[in-house]
Amino acid sequence: MAAKPLVSAAIAIAALAVVPFVASGSEYAIEVLFLIFLYGAMATAWNLLGGFAGQVSFGHAAFLGIGAYATTIMTSSGVSLWLAVPVSALLAGAYSLVIGIPAFRLRGPYFSIGTIGIGEATRLIALNWTSLTGGASGLTLASAPPLVQQYFAALALLVAAVGLAAWIRTSRFGYALAAVRQDTDAAETLGVATTVAKTQALFLSACILGVAGSVYALHYLFISPDSVFGFSTSIALVIMPIIGGLGTVTGPLIGAVVYTFIREQFAATLANADLLAFGVLLIAIVVFEPRGILGIADRIRGARKKPARVEATDA
Amino acid sequence: MPETILEGRGLSKRFGGLIAVNDVDIAVERGEILGLIGPNGAGKSTLFRLISGVMRPTAGSVSFAGKTITGRAAHDVCVAGVAVTHQIVRPFRDMSVVDNVMVGAFFGRRPRPHGRVHAREGAMEALALCGIAERADTPARALNLSGHKRLEIARALATRPQVLLLDEVLAGLNPTETDRTLELVRTIRAHGTTIVMVEHNLRAVRGLCSRIVVLVEGRKIVEGDPQTVLTDERVVSAYLGTAHA
Repeated sequence: MAAKPLVSAAIAIAALAVVPFVASGSEYAIEVLFLIFLYGAMATAWNLLGGFAGQVSFGHAAFLGIGAYATTIMTSSGVSLWLAVPVSALLAGAYSLVIGIPAFRLRGPYFSIGTIGIGEATRLIALNWTSLTGGASGLTLASAPPLVQQYFAALALLVAAVGLAAWIRTSRFGYALAAVRQDTDAAETLGVATTVAKTQALFLSACILGVAGSVYALHYLFISPDSVFGFSTSIALVIMPIIGGLGTVTGPLIGAVVYTFIREQFAATLANADLLAFGVLLIAIVVFEPRGILGIADRIRGARKKPARVEATDA
Repeated sequence: MPETILEGRGLSKRFGGLIAVNDVDIAVERGEILGLIGPNGAGKSTLFRLISGVMRPTAGSVSFAGKTITGRAAHDVCVAGVAVTHQIVRPFRDMSVVDNVMVGAFFGRRPRPHGRVHAREGAMEALALCGIAERADTPARALNLSGHKRLEIARALATRPQVLLLDEVLAGLNPTETDRTLELVRTIRAHGTTIVMVEHNLRAVRGLCSRIVVLVEGRKIVEGDPQTVLTDERVVSAYLGTAHA
């Protein structure tokens, strides 16, 4: 059962790995794929906590921001990337532990509201800690690694994130998260240390976002509190998994593809109209198929083959 | 000399002005089936919650196998070896039946299964014992009430408890299902698990339990063998009202 997805994943990775050499003329195609990888990894990271464990966070931009700022500050003072990126990940992870302790005292919608506060508080700290962050004027980096290197870094991050998600899904840890999502109290009485499980999911999620922040900073060479720490970034992280399929392995990636295309389409024509498109899409999904695009795909398959396969994605 | 495996001393739980459990002493002997009865609102389920760590007692202490477990988190108590079923069933609705039980197998009392296959074996054993092995791969939400009650028991059993607290597992079952569940409880006990059961079905309690504890308005009023307890004047009046006593 595990063999088939593994084979298709290997083929997909191999195909994506040759793209920069085949399409070396088309900078734009590489750029779009890079963005899909980056957003896909970010959405997958968010989904570990929001999808698998059902703890919907509206403050995840905090971890992206910490990763981006840490990498920018360190590399501009001469620290090697090989050190700066892991340290950025760990800083984001450490921050997640600090905020996880109070945040997980809240449940369900209260947790979600709490995370809005945490995300915004983090942005305000970044905005006002001028000596470290440069405040509202942001920070710039002098030079970026070549786009092809960025491309492979983002691809590696995506593969790592999706691989981690796929492994977690069928592991003991995955069972804990699924139990937490469906009934936290029942999970407790069956021996699941629910707060520990949630904290672990948050930590992993934050570390991946920290690395994503590094990649982001190295790509754009300019970061400001409103970009990386912005509420709209947190919202994007929520939207992508919901579009693709909440709590699934590949759903967030599919969501990232849709998200990136819609954004790119509108960026050239009607800036900010993408928000309208996402709003409509989100409402449609919540109303008609809460399992997202993967849920729709499942319905189509179910309609074609008569005996509907028992949905195993929610194990 | 019977050995006490689980003991609550002076347990009280106060909710604002209401005292749900009032200074209750309860001792469970290894290998017995202890019945816990009393009218609605007597504090039976609350007492279970105090013992299983779901709620922290206002006063008193709980000890299990010689160790104090008062105030420990529910998952700790489960890992120590005291499992509880929920009066109102709480399945993980989107998981299959066997996945539900595997949660218990993965996280219950040690030694824990190494890996998914081993956990599934443990879960299937519990399901077979409870008579719902053939439903293993159906989604939990597709079960009927009797199936859900069995799933509750199977999930708790999969944690390999030394003491199993059953909260009204017979409620809502028809006579055939009731008989099957009573048989199941006997089998579980025969496998070496000590059982405490909250139950309203007095006939079932009489046939099954070696001892009975009666709670009324949060207090323990009588304790003893079924025959003595169920004919006790105070118990009869608590259930039927003083006019009939």
